[in-house]
Amino acid sequence: MRGHGFLLANYVPGTSFLHRAPLAVKFLLVVASGLASFVIVDWRLSAAVLAVFCGLFLAAGAGAKRLWGAVRPLVPVLLVVGLFQGWQLGAPTGARIVLNILVCIVAASLLTATTPVQQLLDGVVRLARPFERFGADPERFALTIGIMLRSIPYIAGTFADVRDSARARGLERNPRALVLPVFITSVAYARQTGEALAARGLGDAED
Amino acid sequence: MPAVTFDQVTVAVEQDDSPHPKVLLDAVTLRLDQSRVGVIGANGSGKSTLLRLVNGLVQPTSGTVAVDGDDTVRAVRHVRRNVGFVFTDPLSQLVMPTGREDVELSLRRSVKDAAGRRRQAEAALARFGLLKLADQSIYELSGGERQLMALAAVLAVDPKVLVLDEPSTLLDLRNRELLRRTLAGLDQQIIMSTHDLDLALEMDRVLVIEEGRVAFDGAPAEAVAAYRSWCLHGLDPAATDTP
Repeated sequence: MRGHGFLLANYVPGTSFLHRAPLAVKFLLVVASGLASFVIVDWRLSAAVLAVFCGLFLAAGAGAKRLWGAVRPLVPVLLVVGLFQGWQLGAPTGARIVLNILVCIVAASLLTATTPVQQLLDGVVRLARPFERFGADPERFALTIGIMLRSIPYIAGTFADVRDSARARGLERNPRALVLPVFITSVAYARQTGEALAARGLGDAED
Repeated sequence: MPAVTFDQVTVAVEQDDSPHPKVLLDAVTLRLDQSRVGVIGANGSGKSTLLRLVNGLVQPTSGTVAVDGDDTVRAVRHVRRNVGFVFTDPLSQLVMPTGREDVELSLRRSVKDAAGRRRQAEAALARFGLLKLADQSIYELSGGERQLMALAAVLAVDPKVLVLDEPSTLLDLRNRELLRRTLAGLDQQIIMSTHDLDLALEMDRVLVIEEGRVAFDGAPAEAVAAYRSWCLHGLDPAATDTP
């Protein structure tokens, strides 16, 4: 199984100012970049924001290779989106939409590259604490986020494996040969993950 | 050493194409209190079902399973704290992006302080020489490193019993040897299914499972000889003359 299709960069140990920045600040940065994508209407401003975020990513010592690794899986989708939106709404709008999506991806990668997952999970637990009075288990919120981070590359890797298998059998143009195995493998993966969590007593309600 | 007891345990599952349930394990009664217990048998014989009962992952259709007196159905959470389970494929088991994060995840319930959790995780990883791989993506690790990482994550919470379901099946010879040596150094009671008969020979006691029944239960050399003979000549392991 390949697990190369990361959409978010893995944590990179370091001591940069971004590593030291409070989790809340980094989290707000991600939220703000998501909101900004609705507000920014000029592609040049989007490009400038993207350049700043890429600069921050490199300043954190996460490296250009990791940055490209976070963006690369989305390139085909962004190309299609950009071309379609450019055709429908004009080139500046198409460029703005693509650049805004990239801003969100790089901002989220900045958060995951400079924050250990456990710190991220502790933050989620703190955020979810007020919902405890309604019967919610904050640890389960955290576990869900953790599993999501792990599952994205797994499913992307599954897709790559299935695509290779289909190609080897001359079925690369058959959508059924691509989609169905990925779906079945993903369901099996979900079951296995549930079993692994149960075996370790994780996800059970707190005592 | 903790005692794992099976009392007339049957596991059966409904079948879509038959009105009769399929019996995976049939009225098994055992008391496992040796330090190293091996479980061998053909694919689909019921080995995994037997092991999963110990951790409460599978519940008996009838009969009871207990670990140190704790029923695996009624006291399943307590049982899971005492019984660590290692799956065949570590990728199914490691649920976090890196080994360090996975070990820390194991410790989240028992160690609330983040710094303490980090220290304990590092100690668990260092024990298996995995500290240098702690922050690598689990996808970048070799099969053996992944299996050791999964083992470290399970052992971080110090279970009394370690159950391993064919842990060496996906490993090459070198990694199998590494796993074997690691397991040999553990204090926990080990119950392990395996197709590696050399590994089975190192156990204190070996069960041969066939069609949901314990076909042979005894000393490793005799059990392995019986199983080999049965595989090669199609004999019933229970009826085989053993050296």
